[in-house]
Amino acid sequence: MAILYKNLKYSIINSFPLIILYYLSISEIDTHFSNMFEILSFNLQIIIIYYWMLKNSTVLGNGHIFFAGIINDVVMGLPLGISSISYLTVSFVASYIRQVTVNMSLFTDWFTFILAIFFSNLVYLVLILNFSDLQLSYVDISYNAFFTFLFYPFIWVIFNFYKKIMFLGADD
Amino acid sequence: MSSSRDDFGIAIRSALLKKGARQKFSLVFLLILAIIIFLLDTYQFKAINFTKFLINDGIYRLTNISTAPFKLLPKLNDKIKETAFAMKENKDLKAELENLKNKEFQVEFLKNQNDSLRKILESDVKIKGKSIIAKVLLDKDSPFLKSIVINRGSKSGINKGMPVVDGNYLVGKIVEVNYLSSRVLLLNDLNSRIPISFGEDSVQAILSGKGESKPVLEYLPELYEPYGNLTVFTSGKDGIFLPGIPVGKTEMDELDVKVNLFSDPNQLSFVTVQLINISKDNF
Repeated sequence: MAILYKNLKYSIINSFPLIILYYLSISEIDTHFSNMFEILSFNLQIIIIYYWMLKNSTVLGNGHIFFAGIINDVVMGLPLGISSISYLTVSFVASYIRQVTVNMSLFTDWFTFILAIFFSNLVYLVLILNFSDLQLSYVDISYNAFFTFLFYPFIWVIFNFYKKIMFLGADD
Repeated sequence: MSSSRDDFGIAIRSALLKKGARQKFSLVFLLILAIIIFLLDTYQFKAINFTKFLINDGIYRLTNISTAPFKLLPKLNDKIKETAFAMKENKDLKAELENLKNKEFQVEFLKNQNDSLRKILESDVKIKGKSIIAKVLLDKDSPFLKSIVINRGSKSGINKGMPVVDGNYLVGKIVEVNYLSSRVLLLNDLNSRIPISFGEDSVQAILSGKGESKPVLEYLPELYEPYGNLTVFTSGKDGIFLPGIPVGKTEMDELDVKVNLFSDPNQLSFVTVQLINISKDNF
């Protein structure tokens, strides 16, 4: 019983980032604070994916990222699969950075995050502009990308703290 | 240069193709799958449309459920505010109700007091209007006759039957008139019979002296259950006494209802005689 409880506790704690990712995708709650500050919006999903794929890919997993993207598309009314491609791009950049980087710090993570944001938004824009009739505001996307980049250190600190209370095994 | 390109290629390949114990699908596989889904959706394939409708319905309901707590938050906030306001209002209303109750009690008390004062005032007016103060000359106690002699007689306009009061309270009536003096038969005398009324229902009875300090009430209504501490007033039914002159308080003594007189007959030094017109027939 005690072992079962312990395993359940570990499982819940370890699944917390994944739960947040799914919840942000499935719920109408977004990180657009236009009612508070007109230009303030950031993409928390990308931050979550990048951080955890960089630190420990077993926490999220590409399959969950893919499904989270599909769900986000359905909820947001975007062409199906576009968010998945965008999120998987971030995951790919994170995986690549992890492969080529030895010492990782906040600053290396932060500045390499620019690449993730860039490719993610690039893929997103290219697909939207070429394969759908949706109209996008480049200014809004720019602000979103900027604030996503800006908020990364704050989320990094929070996740870094949370990572210490997690019970992580060896990374794949 | 060649080595650097190899490293880059290895890193890319590793990132795209790597699978592990928990990574069931490689990144490239999922990317291709996502691109296929995207293209199918973009070009409106029937199969993907049907699947999309199913997924949409499921996810919309799931979204609705998952966001319900957050949708409830503003309502909850409003409810909390409403509840807090209602609680405060309830507290205020309770205080107000308590205040009103107190005021009601105060009004009742004042009403009762007003009634009593009005009765006293009425008797006061009578006393002040048509009355004369007399000094008690003699109050020799007799076992058979409870009376006093006052220093006022017919000279002062005193007639038989006139009520005599001590302050505002009835003490007796004139039974003998001389030119300069009069005899007052006290309420506790054996011969004293005064019609009175008492209680909220204005119960009528006769106050009869028994030669003791406390006269008793007689001729009470049938099936009347007497109880004590009720103010007894003159009823004026006999046409001699004016109604509403306070006499005393009822007091239960076994089966008898006695009246504890407001004015002690043994402690009289000055009394007031009410100068009212009394026909000889009535007396």
